[in-house]
Amino acid sequence: MSQVTLYHWEPNANSGKPMLALAEKGVAFNSHYIDMLQFDQHKPEYLAVNPQGTIPAMTHGDRVLTESTAIMEYVDNAFDGPELMPADPRDRWRIRWWMKFMDQWLAPSFSMIGWSMFVGPSVRQRDPAELEAAIERIPLPERRVAWRKAIHGSFSAEEMAESQRRVGIGIGMLEEELAKRAWLASDQYSLADVNGFNLAYAIPLSQPELSNDEKTPHLLEWLRKIYERPATRQTWAMGRTDMVKRVAILEREPA
Amino acid sequence: MAEMTLYHGEPNGPSLTVLAALAETGLDAELVAIDLAAGERHSGSVPHGVATEMSVEGEGPVLAVGGEAMADSVFLAQYLDERAGARLQPTDAHARWEMEMWCRQTIERVAPAAAFLGNRAHTTPRLAAMPDAEFDTILDSIASEDLRKRWTDTRAGNFPDAQEADSRSKIVQGVERIETRLGDGRDWLMGDFSIADLESFAWLAGMEDIVPEAFEGKARAAAWIERMRARPSVAQALNQATSDDPRQSWAPGPEINRWG
Repeated sequence: MSQVTLYHWEPNANSGKPMLALAEKGVAFNSHYIDMLQFDQHKPEYLAVNPQGTIPAMTHGDRVLTESTAIMEYVDNAFDGPELMPADPRDRWRIRWWMKFMDQWLAPSFSMIGWSMFVGPSVRQRDPAELEAAIERIPLPERRVAWRKAIHGSFSAEEMAESQRRVGIGIGMLEEELAKRAWLASDQYSLADVNGFNLAYAIPLSQPELSNDEKTPHLLEWLRKIYERPATRQTWAMGRTDMVKRVAILEREPA
Repeated sequence: MAEMTLYHGEPNGPSLTVLAALAETGLDAELVAIDLAAGERHSGSVPHGVATEMSVEGEGPVLAVGGEAMADSVFLAQYLDERAGARLQPTDAHARWEMEMWCRQTIERVAPAAAFLGNRAHTTPRLAAMPDAEFDTILDSIASEDLRKRWTDTRAGNFPDAQEADSRSKIVQGVERIETRLGDGRDWLMGDFSIADLESFAWLAGMEDIVPEAFEGKARAAAWIERMRARPSVAQALNQATSDDPRQSWAPGPEINRWG
């Protein structure tokens, strides 16, 4: 039995970050699937692990760790296996800069679009009273606001337009940055790539006008290169929803 | 080792973090004072690049190393620390995670709230008094559209009441968190002095006048603030001030979380 247990949803966005980091490090873990669409993350069994009700969370022995990017850094520091942060301090700075930019500026825009297209419609048809009760169980007020908006489809036109604007800018920035070095923020495969893949793997499908082989060749090559890695294959094979199966678009030779 | 130049604002907020971190490491860097609230970070005289233009932090210091313009105070402090040989961050993986979580909470919750309140109190009058043409020149030099909007909102005094109330409560929570953390009698937030102390102090120091209720009855936090001010690196950073009270120096900072 592994000392590590990961509570995660799909290999996608925040849940996928520690899943892929653990796989890259070769750390075996007990996988505890939290079905976000069934609000598992707000049920008492999970709140006993992480009272904030956010996913993912990881236990290592008697330690409980939360926040996906911080968990990844912990995984890299705590376990043997390939280093996912280079030694050079300036590379490390650049990796952290990109992870924060993605976590706080770009990913919320992607997820606003993703929630309104996928998460909201997936749960919306359920009994309204049941949904409201589920929302009331959410510990963090800002997550309650986000779920209400997703469920009722009430992101404003301005909010959606701003998210789409940021997605467009972000795709351009990634393309430009990936033209500079072998990987996203350094010449070594790092946490920035793990983070970025979770954010961007479906871009060619979800934003075909902005991201394709003509407009963003470096971005596409980067995604395909990461998808070729055994750890990525292994991680995405754990996905259950059609949403994450979209990763198949990154196959170089269509099956 | 590459030579470094630090372009910094008054020692408050992110500039305070990086100035003090630099002093902690003893590394040598040329210091260039700039007026962040006059948009000087975007003027041609300060190196820029994607990391400065799109920094989530907004108007913070810029560290130029080897032709690269670097930004974001916590990561600059980590860079300086790692370059000098790791004294400002725990080495144990779990303690390190705690410090990173602490800094992230500060960046995401305290910093946007402090920037909102600090700019509302101190930057709005200054920008409002600025001639339109001068302000437009600043706007034209800012690459990021959302940062530009924070500048126009600041000048127009566009600070919604709900966000003000929320920001005040985030400052109250931020100080409470420090008070609780110091409950076991420790001197510093992570046990040993760390970047978490610097970043927390840098954003909260200017809040004592604006949200005094946050500090009322918080004896441990008050003693920690005194220890911070007495620390040589912080004192050295505060000595860089060119204004009477650097705690009144703000410039458009990180945005309030778009999800609410």
